[in-house]
Amino acid sequence: MKLPAGTVAFRGVALDYRLFHDRSVTMFETMMSVFGRRTRVERLRALDGVSFSIAPGESVALVGPNGAGKSSSLKLLAGIYSPSAGSVETSGRIASLLDLGVGFHPELTGAENLYLNGAILGLDRAQMNSLIPGIAEFAGLERFLDTPVKFYSSGMFMRLGFSLATACDPDILLIDEVLAVGDAAFQKKCYDRIYGFKGTGRTIVFVSHDSDAVLRLCERALWLDAGRVRRDGPTAMVLSEYLSDASAKHVPAAVSPREWGTREVEFESVILADERGTPSNTFRQGQRMLVRAVLTTRIPGGVDGLVFGFSICRPDGEQVIGVNNLELNQPLISFEGRAEADVAIDLEMLEPGSYLLGLALTDPARNRDYHWQDWFYPILLLGGRKEPPLRLEEATWTVRR
Amino acid sequence: MLVSSLASKELKVRYKRSVLGFSWFLLKPLFLTAVLSVVFTRILRFGGEIRHYPLFLLPGLLVWNCFSSSLSAASTSLLDNVRLIRSARFPRAALPVSSVIANSVHLLLAMVVLEALLLAFGHFPSPAVPLLLPALVLFLAITTGLSLMLAVWNVYYRDVALFLEVLLQAWFYASPVIYPADSGLLPGAISTAIRLNPVSGILEIVQSLLYYGRTPPAWAWISLAAWAVALPVLGMLVFRHAEPAVVKEL
Repeated sequence: MKLPAGTVAFRGVALDYRLFHDRSVTMFETMMSVFGRRTRVERLRALDGVSFSIAPGESVALVGPNGAGKSSSLKLLAGIYSPSAGSVETSGRIASLLDLGVGFHPELTGAENLYLNGAILGLDRAQMNSLIPGIAEFAGLERFLDTPVKFYSSGMFMRLGFSLATACDPDILLIDEVLAVGDAAFQKKCYDRIYGFKGTGRTIVFVSHDSDAVLRLCERALWLDAGRVRRDGPTAMVLSEYLSDASAKHVPAAVSPREWGTREVEFESVILADERGTPSNTFRQGQRMLVRAVLTTRIPGGVDGLVFGFSICRPDGEQVIGVNNLELNQPLISFEGRAEADVAIDLEMLEPGSYLLGLALTDPARNRDYHWQDWFYPILLLGGRKEPPLRLEEATWTVRR
Repeated sequence: MLVSSLASKELKVRYKRSVLGFSWFLLKPLFLTAVLSVVFTRILRFGGEIRHYPLFLLPGLLVWNCFSSSLSAASTSLLDNVRLIRSARFPRAALPVSSVIANSVHLLLAMVVLEALLLAFGHFPSPAVPLLLPALVLFLAITTGLSLMLAVWNVYYRDVALFLEVLLQAWFYASPVIYPADSGLLPGAISTAIRLNPVSGILEIVQSLLYYGRTPPAWAWISLAAWAVALPVLGMLVFRHAEPAVVKEL
């Protein structure tokens, strides 16, 4: 049966890896394990009975935690792996953005590399001759095609890789979180080209941890969990279920919340919300966190020069960020009776996960600790993964009386 | 198509940034011939009995060089291209095969120069010299078959490439490169054993056709043809069987 170009079908696909507990596999060790010790090899089932099909023109995201089988699925689609059981069927030309510029040899020029890698993709010299001007133009590297690619900047290298990978007019495009290509202008060009593919009825399979990108590109999402399809449906629905499931799996905190201080000034209520003011304790990369606090004071005549601080700690209690309006040269807070104070926090989320937000009201001038809430509000941050875990970009304090 | 692109890449890359460049394909065997000639005519002396000993050495040495360089390159060809294999779909056998092709291009070019040298010293080729081409094709089939197996095995056991170095050294002396297979120099049993060596056939044929100017003996053809059927078939079976697992193993 001939499938229409752009179709993808997984039927009961399983994929096993051999997991070595010691990667230094030598003949000697094998001989030793033949005489006596058992071979320390374990089978790891990366995919376990996965079935789904994608119709031509669909854009589908694969979401799920690390190790759920997303990349393995892409490699099966690309034909790099073959399934241990079941069948993977695809029809039409496949372009994979799995690892850009990987076949490029540093000593060869841009053009030589294009011919070579074109051959690896199955394009002959004549086809490449007609494609190369377009590839060079898209990458903005017309003047550098005769330069060995070892003299390219990493941005140029990736641009050439992206241009080549998407040049062959694919029916199916596989993307594995590689879109951090070059500068902002080129990234936009890349996205434009991918959206262009989407507009013309090409099939797109996208793996990413960036939920915004997933929402923008794909109308359907498959949630993979431990090698199985857990949910398959409209992106927004699958994604919200996946994200709330991820937050339900909060790492249990090693410290318990505590409150202390003179309470002459105190937090009457605190709400965490997203930038639109919707209460939430889950924040994605690029989102602003809003702490909306209602403050009250028993001190007659009110307080003057109040310092409002916050801290963000890991679940084990280790503080990552601790700062206040005084340190950041923001206006100090003065009010009488009751006031609402908002802290808008922009975080560069370098290590997603669960954290604990703490708040404090103090008056260093009078040496007073009014109200401390340590490790008080659990929050969940979702986004890219990098070191160091957190960096404060900005925090602003506003007071409305 | 893919194989020729990969092979030409291998040739281009090898001589990038070298002053003598492509002429190394000839310089290397010439240097080696000089060394071996001195050893076997001045020091060990048995080569003195062979007329123009360096010219006897060269044809065999060129073939042997092609053989050993192909196997060494092919044995690491999969490991050298891990990232490529893990991110693109293409026939992976093209990697070891292109190593063999790149080396055989060298062999052919060097053969042409060699023939000129032989003629200059009065060694006229046999009238059967057109048979050289089919013989070389069979030899390439042997080399390719072995390369496919070594490439796969080396993924599982890195010892293979390391052991190959030693093995090639021993194999060199067990092959009729520095001595003629049909000379009275060898005791009967050893002479028979040497005929079973997969490279003996081609060595004998090349030396007969080019150096001696005689028709190669039947045993050389039989040995060459038999190995040229068995090894590629075996190599392809091993490679095809192991390919899916090897990709994940890398």
